[in-house]
Amino acid sequence: MSAPSALPVALVLWRRSLNEVLRVRGALLPATIAPVVFLLGMSGQFGRLTGLELFPTDSYLSWIVPLSCLQGAGFAGAATGSNLARDIEQGWFDRLLVAPVPRPLLVIGPILGGVTRSLVPATVVLIAGLALGAELTGGVFIAVTFRTQQAGPLMQQGVFLAVFLSTAYTPEVLLRGWLANVAEYNPVTYVLELARQATVSGIEPSLAHTWPGLLALAAMIAVLGALALAGLRRMGR
Amino acid sequence: MLALGRRALSVQFRRAQLLMPTFVLPLMLLAVIASGTSAAQGLRGFPDVASYLGFIVPGTIIQGALLAGLTSGTAMAADIEFGFFDRLLAAPVRRTSLVVGRQAGTLGLSVLQSCFFLAVAFLFGARYPGGIGALLAAIGLAAITAIGIGGLASAIALRTGSLSLMQSIFPFVFILLFTAPAFFPRDLLSPALRDVAVYNPLTYIVEAVRGLLQGSNALGDPLQGLAAAVLLAVATTALATFALKERLRTL
Repeated sequence: MSAPSALPVALVLWRRSLNEVLRVRGALLPATIAPVVFLLGMSGQFGRLTGLELFPTDSYLSWIVPLSCLQGAGFAGAATGSNLARDIEQGWFDRLLVAPVPRPLLVIGPILGGVTRSLVPATVVLIAGLALGAELTGGVFIAVTFRTQQAGPLMQQGVFLAVFLSTAYTPEVLLRGWLANVAEYNPVTYVLELARQATVSGIEPSLAHTWPGLLALAAMIAVLGALALAGLRRMGR
Repeated sequence: MLALGRRALSVQFRRAQLLMPTFVLPLMLLAVIASGTSAAQGLRGFPDVASYLGFIVPGTIIQGALLAGLTSGTAMAADIEFGFFDRLLAAPVRRTSLVVGRQAGTLGLSVLQSCFFLAVAFLFGARYPGGIGALLAAIGLAAITAIGIGGLASAIALRTGSLSLMQSIFPFVFILLFTAPAFFPRDLLSPALRDVAVYNPLTYIVEAVRGLLQGSNALGDPLQGLAAAVLLAVATTALATFALKERLRTL
């Protein structure tokens, strides 16, 4: 299939993925509510941690808002993955496999849908955080860029763990033991650092805090995207 | 009833995807919180405890109980959606045992979870000055709590019969957990959360488990915890039984 006709196919699959949100009542509700719950719960539980020396902000809400945005984006991505799994289980995907379209589009369409869907929870969390008093020191743009986490259909619990095995609760200097080592190698740590430039007063916006996050995002897109395509190839055999 | 309980339990262990949320996820969260927030021990007002891990493991035990209960409701919704529940209804057994049998499975699962969490935390340095009796009492409290949440989840499953709805309830479990002093002392919660925590039965249960494990009534009153857990279990099991009767009435 020539390149010009590939775009409409991806757009149709993207729109189908979005229709699942627009036409199924409450489809986005869990992915939107869960991060808000975490935002409120964790800031309420661990808010006093800002009293520790070396904590870079007085507002734990500001520390946690980027994490909850990332979580919301991840949950929306997981939901996209679940829908794809359902399509495979119910045989719909088999019909798509025999369609005369390049196969990567079958995955790219839902991923684009996931990217779009992730904007909803990320935006709701950001608004909730700001309404409750989180600071916005950098810019909204940076705070919502991590929608690209949708690069792979991660399942909900995988998202959960990937996010928490990072500097989720406290900065790296306050982490103890094994988590300090794991967080150092977890790309989510750097994505959070990138996003926290926008909300945490103790993290000055700079290139040094930005490029590792961008690199981590690019790496996640490459690795998770390659995994998704590899899975697709296995299905086609 | 025992057969139904055993079936509920064996399903858990035969499906790896069910073991992840009930056994692995709470333990991972425990490990992350222990490592990520242990510096909190340096905060003024933090209770003097033998180990930080020992202080937060009650939160994990109660999280396990919540997830065990939720899993029970999810499994019941799956039975309804795939038609197995209708076959059970035709079986020559008391119909209330369909709910009670499921609850027995939840109880068994919660006991296994609590033992597992306590043992793993012990291996990583948690200490329980309360002793063996207190450990058993804490496991019992968690099991009653699991029955309570299981009753609620079963009531929703029986009322809606929707597997996808039950799966989407997962985040709401954390509302209950985070509005209780699960991982932090109540006095150090934010003022708003402290006010909300007063109305959450899990507050008294998690504090009771903490008090038992640490051998200190100042951290939590076991009797208050027992009263909260029993009330929750009785109320939600009644709710589930009522939902079953409603379902049978509309068949």
